[in-house]
This record gives sequence, structure tokens and C-alpha cells, in this order.
Amino acid sequence: MRATDTNCRPPASSTTPSQTVKAFDKLYRDHVDLIYRFAHRLCGEPEAAKDLVQDTFLNAYRGFERFRGDAQISTWLYTIASRACLRMRRRRKGAPDRELSLEEFIPTSDGEFRLQIPIDGLSPEEALQNKELRRALDAAIDQLPKKYKMVLVLRDMEGLSAKEVGTIIGLNERAVKSRLHRARLFVRRQLSAQGLGQAEPEHALLR
Amino acid sequence: MAKRQTSGQQARSSASRHQHNHRKSRCLGILRQLSAYIDDELAGDICQEIRRHLGACPNCEVFVTSLRQTVSLCRHSPVPSLSTVDRAVMRQKVLKAAQIR
Repeated sequence: MRATDTNCRPPASSTTPSQTVKAFDKLYRDHVDLIYRFAHRLCGEPEAAKDLVQDTFLNAYRGFERFRGDAQISTWLYTIASRACLRMRRRRKGAPDRELSLEEFIPTSDGEFRLQIPIDGLSPEEALQNKELRRALDAAIDQLPKKYKMVLVLRDMEGLSAKEVGTIIGLNERAVKSRLHRARLFVRRQLSAQGLGQAEPEHALLR
Repeated sequence: MAKRQTSGQQARSSASRHQHNHRKSRCLGILRQLSAYIDDELAGDICQEIRRHLGACPNCEVFVTSLRQTVSLCRHSPVPSLSTVDRAVMRQKVLKAAQIR
């Protein structure tokens, strides 16, 4: 995969410091919003996300000359951010890094099969205007073990292909898809286990 | 007579249990493939088989709907954007840290 955004090519080794800063500025300007969005989705709150953005761009600055341009710049930055995130110490108590087994998501009763998320008839944007649903979604993603969260965020929130996700986190496509399926099942169960729309009359929460 | 009825009932109940278990194991096979199904990654014949099962099994039909909704909510989940000040402050911090080394 060759770089398509050629203007973001790293500076040659003979460049002056001011040229390096100029090249960095372009990289930063073009990608800071993308990386902040990714970081916010991984960290779940703005301050930790900003720390992760800074770590990412600092590492990108330091590794600029080593970037060979054989991947898209965005893929390279996602990779740096993912590694920085894995290194980051959890500042608050979060989900332990455990394996999710498929068995734990297999319904054992008709009731479990039929757990529903009360958004019937609403577009996702409309449904997400409901604060309780949004909080439940954020909490479900936050409770995912990191390696599952990373795959879900990259694939279902950032919209990358399974192949791209594999490149970023160093897994084959099959492993990416397996993690993604478990992560989705986890979030589905958490959302429906919140009892959204069950304790209350139908759609009461969405009014 | 009563005995024969009982044994007939047992046979029917055992057959129905067998059918039920068979259906359940079919459901489990389907559940394992649902992400690939909703991402449209499966071969046509497998997709058709899953669609047929979903049409006949309300449990799996509800399950796949809620899984689709989950993915859809993730895709549309909003994220607050950075302010101009935040962007500038972070850039300064990164450049300062890079030059300290």
C-alpha cells in the first residue's frame, strides 16, 4: 500500500529543523481531529484522550524520518496511537484485560435471546439523542477489555476494514473478525442488560 | 391403556425435545456467524440458509436485529470535537517535548 497523501511524506534527512516543524505542522493539522476522535473513543473522556493525542504526535514526530511511506499516514498514526494506548496506565479502574469467550454470550433462555434495545422506529442518530442510551453505550464500550475495545472502535466506529485493523494491531483478518464478533456481542448484551425499555413502558426512555 | 398413553406421551415429548435441541444447536451455529452475516462476508448459499433460519426462528430474528442495532449505534456514536485552543496548546506541548530530548 503506497502513501496516497503524498504531501504528508516525511522530510528527507537533509532537511532543516524548521522544515521538519513545517512538515510536522501539516501532519498535525491534517490528522489531529482524526486522532482525537479515535483517542476519545478509546479513553472515553477528553483529558486522557488529549494525553493520548500528544503521545501519538510526539512519537510520530520522533519517528517521522523512519516512516517509509509504505502505508497511509492515517494508518501509521492509528498504529502509533494504538500502541501508545496499550502502554498508557489506566488512570481509573476499568475493565480487566481478559478473554471474552463466545460461550458467555450464548443465550440460555428465550428471554435472553429476545433482549431488545429500544430503538425500533428511530434512526441511530435520533436514538442517540437519548442520554441514557448514550451513557449505556459509552459504558458498555468502556467495560470492554482493551484488545476487544480497540478492534470495535477501529472497525465499527472509525469505519476501517478488517484488513486495515489487522495491519494496525498486528493480527490476521480472521483474528480481527473473531474479536470484533465477541466485542459486538458484549456491547449488545450490556445495552440490553441495562433493561432499557424493559422497566419502563415502551419508548418511555426515548421521549 | 393408561400406560400406553404415557409411553406415547413420553415418545412425543422426547421427539419434541430432540427437535427443540436440534433447533437450539442450529441457533447456536447461526449466532456464531452473525457478525460475518451482517457485514455481508459470507458466501451466498450460507447467507440464504441463515435468512431461511431467521424467517423461521423468532429468537434469532430478534437477536440479529439487536446486534445490527448495536453496530449501528456504535457507527453513529457522536464524539465531542477539539477546540482551536486545545489544538494549539497540544501542538505547542508536542513540539516542546520533542525539542527537549
